[in-house]
Amino acid sequence: MLLVHDSDVYVAPFERAWRNRELIRAVVRREFISRFRGSALGPLWAVLSPLFMLLTYTALFSITVPQLSAGVSVADYASSIFIGLIVFNLFSELAYRAPILLHEHVNFVKNSIFPSETIAWTATIRAFTYGGVGFAVYIVFQLLTAGTIPLTIVLTPFLIAPFFLFTIGVVWFLMALGAFTRDVAHIMASIVPVLMFATPIFYRLDQIAAISRSAAFWLRLNVVGDYIEMLRDLALDGTVPNVFGYLTLVAVSYAVFLGGYQFFMRYKSVIVDVI
Amino acid sequence: MSSEPSIRCAGVGKAFQLYAHQNDQLKQILFGLWKTFYKDKWVLHDVNFTVERGERVGIVGRNGAGKTTLLQILCGITQPTKGDFRVSGRIAPILALGSSFDGLLTGRENARIGAAILGLSRKEVDACIEDIAAFADIGSFFEQPMRTYSMGMIARVAFAICAHAKADVLIVDEALSVGDEIFQRKCKKYIAEFAKTGTILMVSHDLKFLASLCNRVIWLEGGVVRAAGPPSQVIDRYRDDVLAELHREPLEQAPNDVNRFGIPESANI
Repeated sequence: MLLVHDSDVYVAPFERAWRNRELIRAVVRREFISRFRGSALGPLWAVLSPLFMLLTYTALFSITVPQLSAGVSVADYASSIFIGLIVFNLFSELAYRAPILLHEHVNFVKNSIFPSETIAWTATIRAFTYGGVGFAVYIVFQLLTAGTIPLTIVLTPFLIAPFFLFTIGVVWFLMALGAFTRDVAHIMASIVPVLMFATPIFYRLDQIAAISRSAAFWLRLNVVGDYIEMLRDLALDGTVPNVFGYLTLVAVSYAVFLGGYQFFMRYKSVIVDVI
Repeated sequence: MSSEPSIRCAGVGKAFQLYAHQNDQLKQILFGLWKTFYKDKWVLHDVNFTVERGERVGIVGRNGAGKTTLLQILCGITQPTKGDFRVSGRIAPILALGSSFDGLLTGRENARIGAAILGLSRKEVDACIEDIAAFADIGSFFEQPMRTYSMGMIARVAFAICAHAKADVLIVDEALSVGDEIFQRKCKKYIAEFAKTGTILMVSHDLKFLASLCNRVIWLEGGVVRAAGPPSQVIDRYRDDVLAELHREPLEQAPNDVNRFGIPESANI
C-alpha cells in the first residue's frame, strides 16, 4: 500500500491533522464534556475506575495464583499487571469502538464538511488521556508501596509516541472496514478477549521464554505486548529496552500508521455513500 | 476579486452503488478486482453550469431530482462519479440544520464545535460566539443542554452558526421550513443581505422567495438540467409542469412536494 514514492506520503497524515487541529480540539473537548455531564463524580471516574481495577487484579492474581508472581513481591507483581492492563485496555477499548466510530458520527460525516479521518485522532487522543490518568495512578501506587520510582520513567514519551501512531493506524483501518460491514464489530468482540491472553499482561515474556522459546517468539509478534514489556522496563524495572527491538517496533508502528491512513483515505469517498 | 467563477460544474455525474445485500459491500472490497457486486444507480447525469461571484442561483426540482446530491457534491461531502467541479472560497453549507448536534451539550458548546467544523479558529469563534447567541435569539436556552430544545430552536442555533462562518459561498438546502415565522424572516433577510457580497446556491420549494432573491434559476429533473435562466421564466415553466402533472393524476397520488421532509407542523413545540 505504500508503493507511492512521494515524500509527502510520510507526512501527509500529520499535515492534515495539523490543519484540522482546532476541530480536533473542539471534538475532544466535546467528548469529555458529554461523557462526564450528568454524573455526580464527573472526571473523578477517570481515576476511580483504574484504581478499582488495580485493587481487584492485585487481590485476585497475586493471592490466588502465586505461581505467576514467583520471585516477585506482591506489590511489584500488581504493578506489572497494572501496566499491562493500562496499555491493553487502552488498545482494546479502541479496537471495540473503532468499527462503529463512523456510525456514531454519521451526522457529522453526511451532513457537514467534516474531515472524517479526524475522528480517529479524537478517539485515540481520548483513549490516551484515560491511559495517562491510569498511568498517573500507577505512579502514585508505586511511590506509596515501593517509596521510589525508576528514573528511566522519563523516557516513557519515546514509547508512548510510536504506540499512539500504531493505535491510530489500527483505528483508521478498523473504522473503514467497520463502515462497510457491521461484522467487524462482532469480530473484534471475539478476537480481543483472545488477544488479551496472547498479550503479556498477567505474565512476563521472560517467564514464557523460560518455558518455551518458540512460544515467546510468537508472542513477540504481538505489538501491543511489546509495548507493555518495554513500558515495564522503563517504569518498573528501571532498565532501557533493547535498542534494536525498540527501533523495529517504531518502524512497524509507523508503517501501520501510514498504512491505516492510506487505507482509510482510499475508501473515504465511498464510505460516505455506504453508511 | 478575481474573475474566476465561484462554482463551476463540468459534466458532473453521480452513481450510487446499489447493493443487493449489506455484505456485498465487503465482498466488493475484497474481490472487487475480479467481480462487481453492485448495480450503479445514476442520480445525476452530466450536470453543467457556472455560477459567477456574487450570483444568487436557485435550484428547483421535484423529490429525487438530484438536488441534494448535487449540493453534497459541491460541498465536498460526497465525490462525483464523473466530471469535474470547483468551488472557490469558503463554503457554508446549510444542509440538514442541526443534525450533528450533541444533545448533552449546551447550545453554546455545540455552536463552538459547529463553527470549528466550518473552519473557524478558536480566536474567530471567541470573537463571534456572542453574535451567534444574539442571532439565534433563544435567550437562556443557549446555556441549556440541547436535548431540551425544540426543533425550531435547534434550527435557529444551526443557522446562526452558518451565518457567522465568514463564508464566500452559501449553499442552502431547503432547511428553513422548521423555524417560526419570525426566524424564517430573519433568515431570509440574512440571505438577502449575504447576496450583496457573496455567492448563493439555494434549493427551495418556496418559489416566491426564489423569484425575489435569485438572478438565475436551474431546474433539475431526473438528474439533468432541464432548464436554466431568469427566475420568472424557469419558475413559471416549472410551476406549469407541476400543475399539469397534478391535473393528470388523481389528487391523492400527487407528489406532496411542499412537505418533502415529512416534518409535521406540530414539531414546532
